[in-house]
Amino acid sequence: MIASILFSLFIVLMLIGTPVGVALGIAGTVAIVMANMDTYWYGLMAVPQNFYAGLSKYPLLAIPMFVLLGSIFDRSGVAARLVNLAVAIVGRGSGMLPMVSIMVAMFLGGISGSGPACAAAVGAVMIRSMSQAGYPRPFSASVVAAGAATDILIPPSVALIIYSILVPSASVPALFAAGMVPGILAGICLIIPTVWLARHYKMGAAEQDLPRPPFFKSLVQASWGLAAPVLILGGMRLGWFTPTEAAVVAVFYGLFVGMVVYRTIKIKDLSLIFREAAELSAVILLVVTLAGIFAWALSTLSVIDPIANAIVHSGLGEYGVLALLIVLLVILGMFLDGISIFLIFVPLLLPIANAFNWDLVWFGIILTLKVAVGQFTPPLAVNLMVSCRIANVPMESTIRWVLWLVAAMLLVLLLVVTFPGLATWLPRYLGY
Amino acid sequence: MSSDQTDKTQTETAAQEFPDAANHKRLKLEDCLSVFIMGVLALITFANVLVRYFSNQSFAWTEEISIFFLIILTMVGSSSAFVRYQHIRIEYFADHGSAAKKWWFSIASNASVLLFFVLFTVLSLKMALDDYTYGDTSPAIGVPNWWYSMWMPLLSLLITWRLAGIMQDLIKVRPT
Repeated sequence: MIASILFSLFIVLMLIGTPVGVALGIAGTVAIVMANMDTYWYGLMAVPQNFYAGLSKYPLLAIPMFVLLGSIFDRSGVAARLVNLAVAIVGRGSGMLPMVSIMVAMFLGGISGSGPACAAAVGAVMIRSMSQAGYPRPFSASVVAAGAATDILIPPSVALIIYSILVPSASVPALFAAGMVPGILAGICLIIPTVWLARHYKMGAAEQDLPRPPFFKSLVQASWGLAAPVLILGGMRLGWFTPTEAAVVAVFYGLFVGMVVYRTIKIKDLSLIFREAAELSAVILLVVTLAGIFAWALSTLSVIDPIANAIVHSGLGEYGVLALLIVLLVILGMFLDGISIFLIFVPLLLPIANAFNWDLVWFGIILTLKVAVGQFTPPLAVNLMVSCRIANVPMESTIRWVLWLVAAMLLVLLLVVTFPGLATWLPRYLGY
Repeated sequence: MSSDQTDKTQTETAAQEFPDAANHKRLKLEDCLSVFIMGVLALITFANVLVRYFSNQSFAWTEEISIFFLIILTMVGSSSAFVRYQHIRIEYFADHGSAAKKWWFSIASNASVLLFFVLFTVLSLKMALDDYTYGDTSPAIGVPNWWYSMWMPLLSLLITWRLAGIMQDLIKVRPT
């Protein structure tokens, strides 16, 4: 009874456009009051206490640091130089610029950890040059949005950090290692239909006449950017830094590259970068901590286990349940960003995963893949929203292109479900 | 929400109807604090790496300070994010349909958020007062807990104030 009020209130609040975090907080608070009518202050003191406790976790510091890292590298001019290098390598021709967009988005995914930020950085550089080369704008927007979706799989990833906070037995390094192979696989699976579509519809005819940048000069200029993921991932692998420290070291490295080497970041830009990163971190952290109130209310009502039990014993079987979860989460992923989805659903899904004895690292990667698909599936995809805004096209116009890419990414999801080793091999090999 | 502009792209949100320039002045307090805290957090964490590298020591007290700043950052940044409409929400249903419907949806959702933060201000004040009365001290540094918890009601009041401002703006633009 109280549980159904909790969920209905949450859904109504979400539909009228209340921020996710607050909708969770309100629903949780109402449920707490209804369950504690006869106690001191109606049990409401749990609300500020959970808020405080929800943020008093040192690993959460990784979130503002990785967000700041993303903001800095978005403006550091690394993206443009990586594009030059990639063009120098693959050459000019129909389908090459879109391929470069995906490759650069994947590479930036190895520095920053959030999809929309990556879509903005790559979109700002690539969408204009792609339309100059004769690619239709809706196609360019689709490619950038899909490429940026690999970002939350390729380490470092804010979504995986959140998952690790919710599921302590899946450590951040293990999740990061597990995301690597599926992330690269996703990138490859996106490149194939992209190049095929470009060739088939004879797009980018003007591209062949554009100059090809010299290889060595491009390599030297891009080397500062190329070193960043080595520093972050290598430093973590060698045990020099924790994920949070790796982020902060890369923040100072990025500032050095942006301010001293490329001189694209001016002193006066710093306050804007820091402000933007602070606000975005606060937005994420508010959902994190208010979701804690919701989860606490759920756990005191003890409704999770009966629901999980009912699902486990529903006769659908392991793969039936998994298929159901995939459909459900891909639909939700169209409406909501990955972090909110994790915070709302991981506490609910964990008992199910445990009942089926699923590997929790593998499960995290599956969830992240679903969310990644949702990030560029119209009509409400966050990445596509960003890239359409840059390309100045309505989202409907992208549908004929983007659905191919959605299908490609779903194929990767299917592969990782069928062959769990794709996700679990690397962390096991590295000994996490 | 007053104007009946045709949506050129489906991505138009309420954010575009509030000019950001006005917000820059209005949110000076939050913005300065955000930049400052973000900078301090980065510096503390970086200093930790250096100190550990050179002396094989790590200071536990920085963790407590960082966590405190994390809480302040969340509340200060949330405050400006409410005014700039940056919070994560489902925009689809709220930003489509007639002007009157959109207006009622915004009023209802803003009223819910406002009520929540009014309640939260009261509850966090109670929590801070409890910390003060019982004299609990923090685990790592040993300072009184209320030094940390007293900022929650204050910042919650700031958020409430901003939300009331948004409400006032919304009431003014009621479509006729």
